[in-house]
Amino acid sequence: MMRAEPWQTAEVCGPTKAQELKKPVVVGALLKKAKHPLLIVGANALTEKTRKKSMIDYFIELSTAAKIPVVATSNTIKAFKEKNFDNVYSHGVMEIAGKLQDPDWMVAPKKGPHDLVMTFGYPYYMEWLMLSALINFAPQIKTITLGRYFQPHATWSFPNLKKQKWNDALKEILSILGGTK
Amino acid sequence: MTEQKRARIKADKLDTGFGSFRNVEVTIGKVIDEDWDEPMGPTPMPGVTTLRDWDHKLLTKYEPSYMPACQLCCLCTFGKCDLTGGKRGACGLDIKAQSARIVLAACNIGCAAHLAHARHLVDHLIHEFGPRYQLTQGEGVDIEAPVSRLVTGIRPRTLDDASSILDYCETQLTHTLSAVHTGQEGSWIDFESKAFHAGMVDQVGMEIADLVQISTMGFPQSDPEAPLVEAGMASMDQSKANILCIGHNVVPAAAITDYAMEHNLQNKLDVSGICCTAWDITRHDAKAKIVGPISWQLRFVRSGIADVVVVDEQCIRTDIAQHAQKVNAPVIATCDKSCMGLPDRTNDDVDDIVADLVSFKVPGVFIGDHNKVGEVVVKTAIAVKPKRKGKTSLPSKKKIQELAQACRQCSECRRACPNDQPIMEAVLAAQEANFGPLGDVYDECIGCARCESACPNEYDLHSWMVTAAKDRWMNESYLVRTGRGAIKDTEIRAVGQPVVFGEIPGVIAHVGCANYPDGGRAIHDMCEEFAQRRFIIVLSGCAAMTVGTIKDDEGKSIYERRSGHFDAGGVVNVGSCVSNPHIAGAAIKIASIFAKRNLRGNYEEIADYIHNRVGAVGISWGAMSQKAASIASGFWRLGVPVIVGPHGAKYRRMLLGRADRAKDWMVYDARTGNEVQIAPGPEHLFYAVENMEECMVLTAKLAIRPNDTARGRAIKLSHYIDLHERYKGYFPDDVHTFIRRETDIPITLKDKIHAQMKENKWKERPIPDPTLLKRMVFGGNGGSK
Ligand code: SF4
Ligand code: SF4
Ligand code: SF4
Repeated sequence: MMRAEPWQTAEVCGPTKAQELKKPVVVGALLKKAKHPLLIVGANALTEKTRKKSMIDYFIELSTAAKIPVVATSNTIKAFKEKNFDNVYSHGVMEIAGKLQDPDWMVAPKKGPHDLVMTFGYPYYMEWLMLSALINFAPQIKTITLGRYFQPHATWSFPNLKKQKWNDALKEILSILGGTK
Repeated sequence: MTEQKRARIKADKLDTGFGSFRNVEVTIGKVIDEDWDEPMGPTPMPGVTTLRDWDHKLLTKYEPSYMPACQLCCLCTFGKCDLTGGKRGACGLDIKAQSARIVLAACNIGCAAHLAHARHLVDHLIHEFGPRYQLTQGEGVDIEAPVSRLVTGIRPRTLDDASSILDYCETQLTHTLSAVHTGQEGSWIDFESKAFHAGMVDQVGMEIADLVQISTMGFPQSDPEAPLVEAGMASMDQSKANILCIGHNVVPAAAITDYAMEHNLQNKLDVSGICCTAWDITRHDAKAKIVGPISWQLRFVRSGIADVVVVDEQCIRTDIAQHAQKVNAPVIATCDKSCMGLPDRTNDDVDDIVADLVSFKVPGVFIGDHNKVGEVVVKTAIAVKPKRKGKTSLPSKKKIQELAQACRQCSECRRACPNDQPIMEAVLAAQEANFGPLGDVYDECIGCARCESACPNEYDLHSWMVTAAKDRWMNESYLVRTGRGAIKDTEIRAVGQPVVFGEIPGVIAHVGCANYPDGGRAIHDMCEEFAQRRFIIVLSGCAAMTVGTIKDDEGKSIYERRSGHFDAGGVVNVGSCVSNPHIAGAAIKIASIFAKRNLRGNYEEIADYIHNRVGAVGISWGAMSQKAASIASGFWRLGVPVIVGPHGAKYRRMLLGRADRAKDWMVYDARTGNEVQIAPGPEHLFYAVENMEECMVLTAKLAIRPNDTARGRAIKLSHYIDLHERYKGYFPDDVHTFIRRETDIPITLKDKIHAQMKENKWKERPIPDPTLLKRMVFGGNGGSK
């Protein structure tokens, strides 16, 4: 299935929808262009895996390779801290959706204001709503979702991907950014 | 025609929705309360803008964060209008104001549902008992209706007074509803203020609804030892005729149990309820049973246990008649708001109606006369039971396995599921006679049947799950304490000081619907955790049922383990949705009984008191409805923070404080008039959490109030720190912001906190007598200054 339509059937929003991320290389290019990107990771990352790798490990590698600070919401931060990863900050998912609407806000001094945000690890509808806040009220920020399913409110999103394709895409993104694999 | 009811008010100064007057005696009607010596406060019967300044204070401190579910507006024929990218609609509205308008629309709808319910009860009871019937919440409750007193300046003594108070509410709702019309309100902050108004009015309407039913229908009256009643799908006695009542309005259900009692037929019948009617019928008759929360409707009807299905109002599945028809269970609609397309037989002969139902000539009827409902339902249930023979629409496992072979593996079921359940995978497992996965889906299913609607093979997927989990629900039986009603004044007197000083670290209210993200266990676990920490736990509605489903090793539910007293560690069920104002009322009564503040028509001062002093937090883990929105809104206006579970994000608007902006956290010290920096607490006014772990930590944090004494602050901080360390895995880095003086520091954590204070260049701060209202400065206890 490679369709750029909302995964949850009724989640249609309005006249615009996310551009389809057809090639992972686009993520690399967008990240390289961004001045202050931010990675926002939710609690589904605690249980999801890409191939055999936990998503927490994946994001630690991604963050390290691309020097992107991570916001880990709810108890997700515990997993990052346990791995002695410290470029990570704790905010609630609704808090971060609110704070990013303030164009001056930054996760830490000199690490913002943010112009690109990547998201992963939420119930589909919650991510959909968080992205709605950003697309409507934080026009200075572009968003990329890294989940398997199409999120229409993002600026860029994968179409609904089979697991294998999604794994490949994540791997390629990491290698473009200079991560291990 | 009901008589025009009016109120008379004497006051030195009167601010009303119509204007501000001095030295007035207004006769708005016939509620004359000459023997009440409490002075009238500044805002009896506030109009839509009377409390606008207060709302704007809250809405500046807790700015809305909108997450539109739709970027278009299609409410008028100018539209559809595209509101993306800063564009405005043809009426001039932008997406922020439109988003606020949706919030107001939801609160109006919720308020209307409760108000109409209250109006029906009051008119019905006046008809039954007469307008002068005396109202009471029971012994030990002198402040019988704290919310009504606070808002309207009236204390409802009789059914007639209750009716007058509803007149006020209905007028206000008309105004807030009209504001949603195209070309009325234009600013987000005023839409929000009106949403607060609708929420406040809703609290009054609910309070009246519960007060009149408590007074007249034999409910427990502020009884901490209200009866334990049977609950769960297995609690029905299937040798008897089973009557299921769904909804919120107890009058038809009560007519059924009353008829059965009067005719000595109880041993032939089992009456049960789903949703709030379940609570209220067990408050009326403790032998009645509770099937479960709102999402149990389909599974129970399809099980075929119910011989007759009676619906009243609110939160009923609108297609319930079709589902009941499949199991030959006649449906009786009883409420003008939900006639379900059934023929009106109100004026027909009882035996004719029963004959038509029992012969399945009609699948159901609408009967608007409650006494007739009692007779028809009882007679029908007894007569139809042997004919139905427990007919079920649940398929056998064999049938499921056979049907599952044709699954197209299209994933449409999963894509339709609000909880993203792996339904297709479970169906594929069922092909191999492995029903475990379907049973697992049942555990996290909210019974919406969207998966069924989506399936191109028209599989009854929800039924498949129910069949797969049959072993579980066939044994689902537990005890819950039915709704006690109000909190006694004496209980408030005992806990007022420790709550305000922070030594009882908070009052946590779990309320609302059953739109749970992953089953309801989280509610139980949160209640147990905080009860152990000596918070006071208050519950109502579906949440109050769900909390009872988890049993300990001895097979006891939380209600059997814990006291129903409003005290540290208590687990207190106040009752149904309309019982929620007992929770707000407890906070209001703390201000009155402990702090001796006047309540009468004195909304702003009391809200300011509660916001700054009473560590109350509302949680609606499965909030679904517009009613839940307006209930929350009533708490927001009182300055009480509300947390919702993940699905609550779909209310599309949070009210968020900014802990990082010191200027947002200033109060007046009422003793000196100085503006004083406070800690960011409560940090948010409305917040959707991602999961239970976030909820635990946030709840402890939101209980912090500027007025905490040193000891109280230290206790609250130790709970916050402990839960933060458990769930987030590290010592929270904002503890220093909550330390005002050395004495605030929890003794066992001194070293860590000192280090953090040093690192952040901490400075000592005074503990103020906090208020957001300048007029309260200098001993402000008067209320009408
Ligand atoms: S009935 Fe249950 S499994 Fe089906 S869509 Fe609703 S929540 Fe999901
Ligand atoms: S929607 Fe029906 S046919 Fe499609 S995967 Fe689900 S069960 Fe199979
Ligand atoms: S959104 Fe709510 S009201 Fe609308 S169809 Fe779905 S369940 Fe019914």
